[in-house]
Amino acid sequence: MRKLLSALLPAFCALALNAQNVSDLIISEALAQPDSTGILDDYGRRMGWVELYNKSTGTVNFAGCYLTDDLSQLRKSQIPKGDLRTRVGSRQVAILYCSGNGADGSFYTGFTLKPGKTVYLVSNDGRTVIDSLQIPASLPQGHSIAKLARAEDIRLQLWDSLAVCPVPSPRILNNNRSTASGGELMKERDPHGWILSITSVSVVFCALALLWLLFWALFDRPARKKAQPKPVKAAKGTPDGAVAAAIALALDMEQDGDVYAAIATAVHLYLSDAVHDVEPGIVTIRRSQSAWDNKALHFRKLP
Amino acid sequence: MEHILESLAQFWEYTGFANCSWQNLVMIGIGLVFITLAILKEWEPMLLVPIGFGMIVGNIPMFPGLNIGVYEDGSVLNILYQGVRQGWYPPLIFLGIGAMTDFSALISQPRLILIGAAAQMGIFGAYLLALSFGFAPNEAGAIGIIGGADGPTAIFLSSKLAPDLMGAIAVSAYSYMALVPVIQKPIMLLLTNKKERLIRMPVPRTVSKREKIVFPIVGFLITAFIVPSGLPLLGMLFFGNLLKESGVTKRLANTASGPLIDVVTTLIGLTVGASTQADKFISLRSLLIFGLGLLSFVIATTCGVLFVKLMNLFIKNPAKKINPLIGNAGVSAVPDSARVSEVVGREIDPGNHLLMHAMGPNVAGVIGSAVAAGILLSFLG
Repeated sequence: MRKLLSALLPAFCALALNAQNVSDLIISEALAQPDSTGILDDYGRRMGWVELYNKSTGTVNFAGCYLTDDLSQLRKSQIPKGDLRTRVGSRQVAILYCSGNGADGSFYTGFTLKPGKTVYLVSNDGRTVIDSLQIPASLPQGHSIAKLARAEDIRLQLWDSLAVCPVPSPRILNNNRSTASGGELMKERDPHGWILSITSVSVVFCALALLWLLFWALFDRPARKKAQPKPVKAAKGTPDGAVAAAIALALDMEQDGDVYAAIATAVHLYLSDAVHDVEPGIVTIRRSQSAWDNKALHFRKLP
Repeated sequence: MEHILESLAQFWEYTGFANCSWQNLVMIGIGLVFITLAILKEWEPMLLVPIGFGMIVGNIPMFPGLNIGVYEDGSVLNILYQGVRQGWYPPLIFLGIGAMTDFSALISQPRLILIGAAAQMGIFGAYLLALSFGFAPNEAGAIGIIGGADGPTAIFLSSKLAPDLMGAIAVSAYSYMALVPVIQKPIMLLLTNKKERLIRMPVPRTVSKREKIVFPIVGFLITAFIVPSGLPLLGMLFFGNLLKESGVTKRLANTASGPLIDVVTTLIGLTVGASTQADKFISLRSLLIFGLGLLSFVIATTCGVLFVKLMNLFIKNPAKKINPLIGNAGVSAVPDSARVSEVVGREIDPGNHLLMHAMGPNVAGVIGSAVAAGILLSFLG
């Protein structure tokens, strides 16, 4: 069992690492045929490029991952390890140039991008395809294909709609609206704050009311039921609770005062035998050690 | 001789006297007032002494660029201030609060939880007012949380939503927490009549150990599932409480409720105080924040008291009626607002002890304000 756990632990760790890292990357935009206004690479050239976007809330290092345009050759172009620039921050992008020569640098692929092809991002294990983006065969020169967030709110992370962009946006998030913070969105949707206030108050009440109901049902109600005194049967031949009530009523008619009610209650409790516990009638005396009966202390040297 | 005079002149440039402005003196004066109130009046001394002294530290006029100021990267104060800026200290304080809090009063009378929810309306009342005064929604949310009467929550939320306003918000929250007896009492007297103030509530039942252990677990699960964005505060609060109630982690509970919270309280107080540098603090916006903070406390107290009166309308059994004087305790200034209930209650009926009853909504207020902070963070963050 221990061996099995030892074997499984690294696998779990690897899964966890993978979950926090490269699987959060998507191919957010690609351009196959640049026109004269396209971005220049470090060598001053214009070429096709692929934009990777980190949709997670942590930094992701994509060193060792692969890019390919051929599913039968997943390890076509590897992004080198050891380059600190391969770390992409939360909700940031990185550009990889498709020069056809991976030796040009860390951010260059060994293939060129062509319309009609699909570009794949492959995990550093060389087997798992993380994301893909198909470049339409009819994509005009200078246009890019971009993934857009379906919702306005970037936190929903639904990047499943495609759009052809006449003006490519490398190094910039594809939806400008999606970069808006919650505060900015609320300013547009709810300028006076009433919707947020009413919603929030309702949620606070719901959360605490749920807590109340749960504890009332689970603990408070049963405990109170349990704590209710059971009616004590009056001993045979003795007056019951009605007698005490009658006494209190009679005394109350004579004079006002809580004292009489207290006396009547005391009489009732006494008569109904509810004051004292029933003694078992067994007395147990346990032997307890003390210095007085300690033999060692009684030893003394005889003269 | 000439060189000596030159050196002295240069040295003069570095002294506080040469760099002093009236704003610095005002802030130092406010710091001294805080310390005086804490020592002479004993108003929240654990908070006001560090904050007051921090204000003095942060407002010593100095030549910029010596890498010693709280806003200068890499300075000692700046490193300590990161605990506030990044929101590390508030969850640690919540851990300590959880380890110190006894939820028995709440568990024994679960219906009082709702008062803690009602008092959170102060947060959203202040949010609406702040919006009407022209603050951005995220700033309004950070200002509104002052109404939760919970310093760590106010710091946590403002560090996320409006870091620039954090100094004013934190000082405002802690100041009004210290002034809870002054603010709440007149409102309580205004909103209740003599008959209501004389209501005697039934003695709370004894709570079993099992209930005390289950409460932090269930409480955490419910609140965290509804508002995951409140996780840092709610998680630490209930975790601290579980350490206390489980009975098997006494050492951890003692550390959390003793040395740890003391250290963090000292650091948070000092750095929040130091962050109130005159050039960033003295402005019309700060004054507005103070005004809105006061209003949020007033709204919270009013809503708490009125909600109890509303609850009483639905309670038919006179023996089960709730004294509206515990409504103010729905704000989470633990245990000060509960003490106010006790004091005001005993003024009219010396035999009527409301403290234990008021502790129920009081600790519910802590949970409620953390939930409200989580909601604001999820909408405005």
